[in-house]
Amino acid sequence: MSSDRIIKLELSRLNLHLPERRLSLKEALLSPRPQVVARDGSVHVFKRGELEFLAGLLPEADRDKLPLPILIALEPKLGRGTARISGEVEVKVVSQVLGKEAAAGELLIYRPEVAILRRKLPTTTQYLFMW
Amino acid sequence: MAMALAVAPTRMELLKLRQRVGLAQKGYDLLKEKMDALVIEFFEVLKRIQEARPKALEQLSVAHRALSMCFAIVGTLETKQASKETKRELQVDVSTRHIMGIAVPAVEVGEVERNALIRGYGLHMTSSVLDEASKKFERALKLLIELAELEESAFAIAREFEKTKRRVNALEYILIPRLKEAIKFIMMRLDEMERENFSRLKRIKAMLEERE
Repeated sequence: MSSDRIIKLELSRLNLHLPERRLSLKEALLSPRPQVVARDGSVHVFKRGELEFLAGLLPEADRDKLPLPILIALEPKLGRGTARISGEVEVKVVSQVLGKEAAAGELLIYRPEVAILRRKLPTTTQYLFMW
Repeated sequence: MAMALAVAPTRMELLKLRQRVGLAQKGYDLLKEKMDALVIEFFEVLKRIQEARPKALEQLSVAHRALSMCFAIVGTLETKQASKETKRELQVDVSTRHIMGIAVPAVEVGEVERNALIRGYGLHMTSSVLDEASKKFERALKLLIELAELEESAFAIAREFEKTKRRVNALEYILIPRLKEAIKFIMMRLDEMERENFSRLKRIKAMLEERE
């Protein structure tokens, strides 16, 4: 296989862990086994403790607007270690978790903050690689 | 030093090589991001292991002390008999969570600590010392399950990190330098051909002028 094909294959496999359909926080809370099916067919399960933690951060009305998992988008063009959080409710939640000022619609976070976010929400956040 | 690729010095080839460098660079940037994220994950898990391991070992040693006490007070044979009568069922929910495509175990343990009635051994032949030892072992078991989850995660992340690092290194030290070397070679060759053409034209022009 040529090196180009290997690189293309590698790039196409980077996001296979992402879910086919994201679940809202409300749906996840109501489900007896909160989980999503990834694009490679595997199952990713959310920990109930985390779901309850997220529910505590949001008013009841916003719970069906928060899609899970929250995507931490890594884009090389933003600079190494910089990640983007998109979506109004996602930004609201991540800002609260990190103790940052809420921005409108989009939030840039840096490597130490990514580490904190992943520590607090290991199953309800996932990395997304963008190019 | 990276070996140069065998390429034909043509403009078409130059364009193709530039596209290949672009792709390789993109792959390199993304894999490097992945590697950074894996490092974050690995150190996070390591930190949790460092917290969980002493707790589990401490609880195990407490449980062993309680068991020794139980052997001394209740008797070795009686304790072993009671252990054989004990129910060995534990409700553990093992599923997977994904860290960039790496499936790591996610274990949710229900209530591990049981009361003496549920454990299954006869109460008339045993003492509260046995209950105490059992309770301490059950606590240790819960901590050990959590530790096992973390250690397995660390191994899985480390394996993926190793693979990714090999790919990043191959791109950084072999493929990209080779492609750049080939581009440099073609550009130099094309420049040289252009210079040759130029001097050839000048020579022809001079010859034509001489003839006139």
